Amino acid sequence: MATIGKTDYTPLVRLLRTPTLLSGLTAEELSHVIDLAYLARLSGWLLGNIDVRVDVSRLPPWLSNRVLAMRLTVTEWDRSLRWEIDRVTRALSDVDMTAVLLKGGAYLAAGLPPGSGRRVADLDIMVPEARLADAERALLAHGWQYQVLTDYDATYYRQWMHELPPLQHTERKSILDLHHAILPKTSRLHPDPARLLAHAVTTSSGSRVLSPAHMVLHAAAHLFHDGEIAGAIRDLVDLDGLLRHFSTDAEFWPTLIREAQVLQLTRPAFYAIHHARKMLNTPIPAEALHQIEAWAPPKPVGWLMDGLIERAVQGEDRPSASFSAFALYARSHWLKMPPFMLGRHLFRKAFLS
Amino acid sequence: MNEESGHALHALSSDGVQLEIGSVLVRIRSSLPGVSEHLKRFYTGFSIRPLPFGHYDVSIVGTPGLRRFIRPQATLVANSRVPFLPLPSALAGPLMEWGINWCFGQCGQTSLAVHAAVVERAGRTMIMPAQSGSGKSTLCAALVYSGQWRLFSDEFALIDTRTAALSPSPRPISLKERAVDIIKARYPDVVVGPEGRDVEKQRFVHAKPPATSVARAKETAPPGWVVFPKYVPGARTTIERVARAQALVRLADESFNYNQFGRVGYDRLVDIVRASDCYSLEYSDLDDLLPRLAALTAA
Repeated sequence: MATIGKTDYTPLVRLLRTPTLLSGLTAEELSHVIDLAYLARLSGWLLGNIDVRVDVSRLPPWLSNRVLAMRLTVTEWDRSLRWEIDRVTRALSDVDMTAVLLKGGAYLAAGLPPGSGRRVADLDIMVPEARLADAERALLAHGWQYQVLTDYDATYYRQWMHELPPLQHTERKSILDLHHAILPKTSRLHPDPARLLAHAVTTSSGSRVLSPAHMVLHAAAHLFHDGEIAGAIRDLVDLDGLLRHFSTDAEFWPTLIREAQVLQLTRPAFYAIHHARKMLNTPIPAEALHQIEAWAPPKPVGWLMDGLIERAVQGEDRPSASFSAFALYARSHWLKMPPFMLGRHLFRKAFLS
Repeated sequence: MNEESGHALHALSSDGVQLEIGSVLVRIRSSLPGVSEHLKRFYTGFSIRPLPFGHYDVSIVGTPGLRRFIRPQATLVANSRVPFLPLPSALAGPLMEWGINWCFGQCGQTSLAVHAAVVERAGRTMIMPAQSGSGKSTLCAALVYSGQWRLFSDEFALIDTRTAALSPSPRPISLKERAVDIIKARYPDVVVGPEGRDVEKQRFVHAKPPATSVARAKETAPPGWVVFPKYVPGARTTIERVARAQALVRLADESFNYNQFGRVGYDRLVDIVRASDCYSLEYSDLDDLLPRLAALTAA
């Protein structure tokens, strides 16, 4: 009988690991993978691979229709995200600012592999903390507004977080996260926002994005931080795509290793690269790998994390998978806050909200 | 139900069956007898195979444990999600219909989907977009049971994203409140299911689609008319032309997934209003309305 509310991502993970399997799938299997990719926000990835490995004209009509619909949908997602970037850029020009795009918006603006087909037109941008108020004023004047928040939530964001509460555009309903750092103020790690902004680069479309090494380190810091299984799979696929793309530049790996140390992000970088390799066979040059392995946690912690992450990512249909997901969620909070603060926050969320 | 499809129903309670509705495949699983009875009553002429796959995955799950002996319930699981609260298990069959509706409306369509009844005559379709309670299903039922029109759907206009052709989805027609009595009285031979109350506490029955419409469920047809119906108690029949631009905006408003396809969605709606005569109509008397509609849509 159907299990309520659970999704088994195993067929998608198998395909992510070995994309060549795509050409051998039955029609039913391909259709199922289209659904899983949609849920994991990987429609863009899947479509890119279908284009290379599947002769769509030979699929039965019901299935080629599904692929066509996915193509139209991905095109529309990309268009609406580009439009969102355009609108934010215009709003911030009122106060003579150019924000640095983060995550999905940056990948799309810079034409990077994980950029296309991300399902939501939500955008993350970063500005210097000193100019947060200017950026906020410009956005509020251009139709963004805060969603209704409790006083506690508002204080939580303002005092402790690395971003303002999410802004929503009144007409388009899209969400905008305005960051002044990439990790919360309360986190144990403090990658210097000024350094990130100073190294930012301009894309051919005129947008500002983080430098390649910083982009990867941000993705690594973000990995497993949202405590959602589908999100973790997508984060790893993003990392894999970025690493493969940037590896062609000889300067990339030495820069990444230097910046990970300067920004105190060696442990997240280790987890990210270790798991991208394990799950997606991401190629890493031997000398870089040697350096990165030295950033591993003490062995028992490493084993524990390996087990948790693998079980959670595979989304196996057994209770231990949801335990793993919960353990990772708890860990993501543990990393964000000192224990006393975390206790207070969880108490508040559990009993008072 | 043909022998093969009847036989396939054994798989309902294990791996499930694959129900073919026009161009869409739905996987259905349930061990509740109501679902099996519902399929036997309403889905004769449809292809039902013992295959564990569908574009949409609909399960009707009974209450586990001892709870099943006192006021047993049925829960809908559609594509791994639970969109509604559990209902009494007597509604298991109708719940399957609402589950399929939910999938069509919410789970990513391969077509542009508009909330509308669709019928076909002489190779062209009449699209009747309207909210629930506007008399759209009543009119749709009257048109198809009078034998003049072929049923596409009482709920969904499924529009091809390349050609703007409409695809049939001739599932049971859902009649509510007054329409239950009106249609039962006018067409006493039509097979209807047991009367019940739906999630909004409204009286409803499902009515069996005409066999001729089911047999032609894979034949698409281009648009011919767009008609916005409205039942107004006691009103005289009025039929008025609607400007094409206005019809386009109203179609977009009634669409479930207009935003999914971006520019292409707009282009197909333009194709539809260009190819169609567009009207709005008010009615209370089907005997007065049907001949007028027949005249209006005659070649």
